[in-house]
This record gives sequence, structure tokens and C-alpha cells, in this order.
Amino acid sequence: MKNPLTTASGTSGYAFEYGDFVDLRLLGAFVTKSITLHPRKGNAPPRIIETRAGMLNAIGLANVGLEAFVAEKVPQLREMGLPVFVNVAGTAIDDYCQVARRLNEVDVVRGLELNISCPNVKEGGISFGTDCGQVAGITSAIRAAAPDKVLVVKLSPNVTDIAATAAAAVDAGADALSLVNTFTAMAVDVDRRRPMLSNGNGGLSGPAIRPIAVYMVHRVYSQVARKHNIPIMGMGGIQTARDALEFLIAGATALSVGTALFVDPTAPVKILDGLADYCRRHNLSALREVIGSLQFPEPGKGYKSTYA
Amino acid sequence: MSATTHPRGLFDAQVISNRQICREHFRLVLSVKDFPAAAPGQFVQLGCRDPHAPPDEPDEHEWIDADDPGLRTRSLVAPTPLLRRPFSLAGAEPDPQRPGCTLLEIIHRVVGLGTARLAGLREGDAIDLLGPLGNGFPLPRAGQRAVLVGGGVGIPPMIYLARALGAADVGGVAVCGVTTADLLPLTWADGVAADPQGLPTRCIREFADFGIDAVVASDDGSVGVPGRVTVALQRVLDHLALPAGDVVVYTCGPERMMRAVTEMSQARGLTTWVCMERSMACGMGTCQSCVCRVNDKSSDDGWRYRLVCTDGPVFDGRVLIWD
Ligand SMILES: Cc1cc2nc3c(=O)[nH]c(=O)nc-3n(C[C@H](O)[C@H](O)[C@H](O)COP(=O)(O)OP(=O)(O)OC[C@H]3O[C@@H](n4cnc5c(N)ncnc54)[C@H](O)[C@@H]3O)c2cc1C
Ligand SMILES: Cc1cc2nc3c(=O)[nH]c(=O)nc-3n(C[C@H](O)[C@H](O)[C@H](O)COP(=O)(O)O)c2cc1C
Ligand code: FES
Repeated sequence: MKNPLTTASGTSGYAFEYGDFVDLRLLGAFVTKSITLHPRKGNAPPRIIETRAGMLNAIGLANVGLEAFVAEKVPQLREMGLPVFVNVAGTAIDDYCQVARRLNEVDVVRGLELNISCPNVKEGGISFGTDCGQVAGITSAIRAAAPDKVLVVKLSPNVTDIAATAAAAVDAGADALSLVNTFTAMAVDVDRRRPMLSNGNGGLSGPAIRPIAVYMVHRVYSQVARKHNIPIMGMGGIQTARDALEFLIAGATALSVGTALFVDPTAPVKILDGLADYCRRHNLSALREVIGSLQFPEPGKGYKSTYA
Repeated sequence: MSATTHPRGLFDAQVISNRQICREHFRLVLSVKDFPAAAPGQFVQLGCRDPHAPPDEPDEHEWIDADDPGLRTRSLVAPTPLLRRPFSLAGAEPDPQRPGCTLLEIIHRVVGLGTARLAGLREGDAIDLLGPLGNGFPLPRAGQRAVLVGGGVGIPPMIYLARALGAADVGGVAVCGVTTADLLPLTWADGVAADPQGLPTRCIREFADFGIDAVVASDDGSVGVPGRVTVALQRVLDHLALPAGDVVVYTCGPERMMRAVTEMSQARGLTTWVCMERSMACGMGTCQSCVCRVNDKSSDDGWRYRLVCTDGPVFDGRVLIWD
């Protein structure tokens, strides 16, 4: 990757949907919408609702399915000239493996991002992403199904300790981790006393989740990723270069921009400019120097006072 | 219809004027440099921030729910809309004062946070927008007559359509439905009243200027034909008494209204173009939030979802499945 900026899965389509708005070639990598074995229509509308500083979505993994993706979208991805990560989702381990095996043969695909964290994907009532045994099981199955691809496991934030699922994924063969996916959440129509989304609950994204996402990235970095030398793709509410820096300093190596693209498709390019500017101001020879550079001064010392 | 191939982009806009035109509607005129050619039925995604609010400064704010003014709350920080809000173009024409600029007209009703912010815009303010988005209405063939059926906030795209019909020298009738007289976001032509029986007259300036007659209907009977817009539409179609191939119906408004309009015009064999509305996050075809159902024989269960933002918002009434 020539720079750390990528699109977040599900927020930039399959390839060139943002074509007119932004030159995606300026980014470091492209991450596709989740692809499943068979086409999925997705949930009935309304599928989104805005909440304070965020939004809920329950798209329901609507996508064209593996075969149409390979036939129609892969040729477009080839033109993009960027490392491509295909986000893979499913409802059973076998589905995931079939998709992974097929994509393992597609040259333009650099890696797979394993979506085990979609609130709507369930097996035996337990989401794949919240149980360490299941995380390990599916990660090693995909590792075997797609031996030639970089395997990124996208972690669910809907867990008590994200370091535990992160460790399970790394032990089972993940090359990288991405976090966070959306937080399961709900908004209520107070007049009709029913959920705002047809699906009932949805996933919260946007600036509202950023501080939690930064914390989770730091926790995974300090507990798991640093010692295994596993890169983290950090995301959750990134809108500006300052937001991006928080993630980098907390331990992320790459960054994905999701919800912010809906408001400004050029946001990642603006973030890149802001990062370059930061490097200049802080005399850094490479952005790499800030990754995981978070320091904890002694209690009471060295903190910036809001009232200074 | 295929996905749009016109250039689209993110543009800075300057507020030229923002005037309240009836109880809850505002007409916002923006000047935008290098805006691509647009067509009636297309829309823009406006960033709804308050340019007069101090940036990032907590500000105690009385927040009044637009739907339920009884719900008053004090909140420490004024809520700011995150996502853009979609609005149909009510007009797009070259800016006579600023070379290379386009004047975009938007008519919006204050219903919530974002539209309340738009209502506060003043001349000279800067906002930004994505556009032009979606596909416009196919225009009638020469010799055909257009019937424009707009309800409430579905009226604005009809104003732009009337302008295009005028330029193409196609005649027509606009049928405008509102709940009550002071929610009519249109201007009365001097000395011409709406006919209470539903006879088309040159009563609305926005339509009369382009040679289009108009009929107004109100749910409470406070103006024009009493009752739903379909009551007036039926009278207009009876009055026109033209063969099916000579009339094209265009509609935009609440979904229940568009469904009734489509069913009525299809029963008469008329081509009907429907401008759909859905809650949207992106407006650019990436988030998959804005789906509506259409017939699809190749699908197992006979239907599939299409995106209102890029496959629409204008759909052929024959393909839509009403929920
Ligand atoms: C293609 C397209 C074209 C459009 N063209 C136009 C146009 O030309 N003119 C126009 O005026 N509009 C138009 N609209 C509609 C316009 O986009 C919406 O009115 C606008 O997005 C509302 O934004 P808001 O922030 O003001 O309201 P929001 O704050 O988003 O609220 C919307 C409604 O939901 C209610 N609501 C919110 N939260 C709750 C809750 N918890 N419980 C109960 N109720 C709640 C609000 O009170 C309000 O009535 C168009 C829409 C589309 C998709
Ligand atoms: C509309 C929408 C659709 C999404 N679809 C997917 C998806 O298909 N697969 C996936 O792994 N994550 C999906 N996500 C989650 C994002 O990739 C990302 O993890 C999350 O939104 C947090 O980043 P953000 O706050 O920058 O949006 C989706 C998010 C949104 C808002
Ligand atoms: S609004 Fe995002 S796909 Fe239509």
C-alpha cells in the first residue's frame, strides 16, 4: 500500500460508484462491499436512520453474490490499479469457504477481509465474531481455503473484551486485523413507538463511535498485535486527519473511512493532505513513526489542561 | 434506465436568497460554479450545517421537535446533522450575474433538524452540495400533453419540469395537492383564481410562465378543489379527453398519493413517470439504503430492489411494486 488510507467495506460499493466524485487511485487500497455466496436482496427499507453524530444501518448484506461479482465487478477492480481487499460474509462456514476458494483464484484480489462481525450474520444463534472458538474456527477454515491471499479478520466491537477475539483470530492465522465494525444499536420512533429501522436494530457508525473505536484499536494493539507484529486497519468515525492520527497513534497501521464518505467522498484525500502536513510540522520522515506511539505520562503529569 | 453517466461532483455553493414562501416552505436559491447540466427530476444532497453557529463551541440550545412542538428540551450542544439531505431541483439555469455559474432553486419544507438549519441560511452564506444526482424525467414526444401531479414537497420537481416543457414547447396541466391553503409553496398569478371544480387555469405563476395551466386541490377544502389530488386529477383527465397515447403523467409526492395517481393513470393506459423518495445516506449509489421494489421476471420471486438514488429517482410506473 502506497499510503494508509482505504475505503471501509459497504461504504464505497464494489468499484467505481464514486467514480465522478473522487479519484480512488489516490488511496492506498480499496475494500469492497461484503460479498456472499449467493446474491442477497437485503432488508426492507428503511435501512438507515441518522442519530446524533452517527447513523444506524441495517442493509442486510445486500449484494450481487459471488458469481456476478467475479463476472461484472472484478474487471472494473482490475482497472483501479490498487490493492483490492474483498470483504467476505456468509451465514455458515461452508459459504465463507466457497467464496474464499473462488476468490483465491482471482489475481487482482490482494486479500480477503473476513466479515464475522455483521450484526445480521448468525449461526446457531451466536454471531461468528463474538465467540473466540468460532472466530478461531472460521479464521483457520478461510486461511486454508485462500492460502494465497492476505487474510484480514474484521472484528466485532460487540464483545466484552476485543483483545480475546483478536488473539483468537491471530492464533488461527490472520495476517491482519480490522476494527471496528458497527455497534449493534436501536433508534425508536417515539410517535409510533416502534423501531425506526424495518430490521429493528442496526449498526451504529460515524463520529459517535470514534472514541470507543480508538480505545479498542489501542487495546488490540497493546495486548495482541504489537507482539505478533500484526498490522491493524483502524476505523470508526474517521472524518479528519486529526481523527486518523488518533487511530495511528493508538496503534493502527492503516485506516478505513466509511460513513464520512457519504458526506464527502473526497474525505480520504483530504485526510492524506492533512497527514502529510502533520509530518512536516512534527519533523517526521515517515508517518510510520507515529504508529503505536501513544505514551502514558505519570498520573497527573504532562496532561494538557483544557483550562490552561 | 441505466445508472447515470453524467458528470457529478461535490460543489461549493453561495446562497443568493432564501425566502419563506408559505407557512413551512422556503425557496432557496444557490449559485454554483461549473455545475454540470441538470434535468428535472434530478436532485442534490445539501450539507445542512448552520454557518452562523460558532464551530465546536458548546451552546445551550432549546431544541423543539418539529413534529411535536410540545417536545421541548434543553440540550447543551445544538444537534448538527451528520448526513446530507436530498432535495429535488426546482430549477437550474445559467446565473445571469455570475459567468460560468448556475442558479439552483430548491424548495424545502422545515420538518426536522436539517431543514431547520437550511431555513437559517442567509444571502452570501456558503454551503456545499453533491449533484446533480439521479436520472431526470423523460420528456414527452412532440404533440403529447403532460400532466404534472405534485403533492406537498413533491411539487418542486414539477416546477423545474414545467420550465423544461416550456422550452420544448409541450403543453400541459399541473395538478397540485396540499393539505391546506397555507402549505402551498407556489405563487398565485395576478387576478387568476384556482377553479374549485378542477378546470385548469393559468392560476399559478410558476406554471403559467411556461404556458402550463394548473389545478389546486386541498385536503381540507381551504383552496381549489376540496379533497385529494386524485379527485382533481380525475377531473383534469376527463376534461382533457385525449387518447391514451397523447398524455404522459408525471408524479412526485407522498407514496400513497403517487400510488393512487399511478393506478388511476394506468387504468386509463397512460404512461406514468414516478419520482420516488427514500431515506438516503449517500445519494451516490454506494450505501444501498434507498431501495424500492420493482418487477423482475428473471428473479425467483418476481421482484428485486433498485436504488432510488442512482437507478431512479424517476421510475416507470409499470415497474414499481407498491408496499
Ligand atoms: C430524491 C428526494 C427528493 C426530495 N426533494 C425534496 C424537496 O424538493 N423538498 C423538500 O422539502 N423535501 C424533499 N425531500 C425530503 C427531504 O429530503 C427531507 O424532508 C429531509 O431529509 C428532512 O431532513 P430533516 O433533517 O429536516 O428531518 P429529519 O430530522 O431527518 O426528520 C425527518 C422526520 O422524521 C421525524 N423524526 C425524526 N426522529 C424521530 C423520532 N425519534 N421519532 C419520531 N419522529 C422522528 C422528524 O420530526 C421529521 O418529521 C426529498 C427527498 C428525496 C429522497
Ligand atoms: C451503510 C453501511 C454499510 C456497511 N456495510 C458493511 C459490509 O457490508 N461489510 C462490513 O464488513 N462492514 C460494513 N459496514 C461497516 C463499515 O465498514 C465500518 O466498519 C463502520 O461503518 C465503522 O466506520 P465508519 O464510522 O467510518 O463508518 C457498513 C457501514 C455502513 C455505514
Ligand atoms: S442513498 Fe446510498 S445507495 Fe442510494
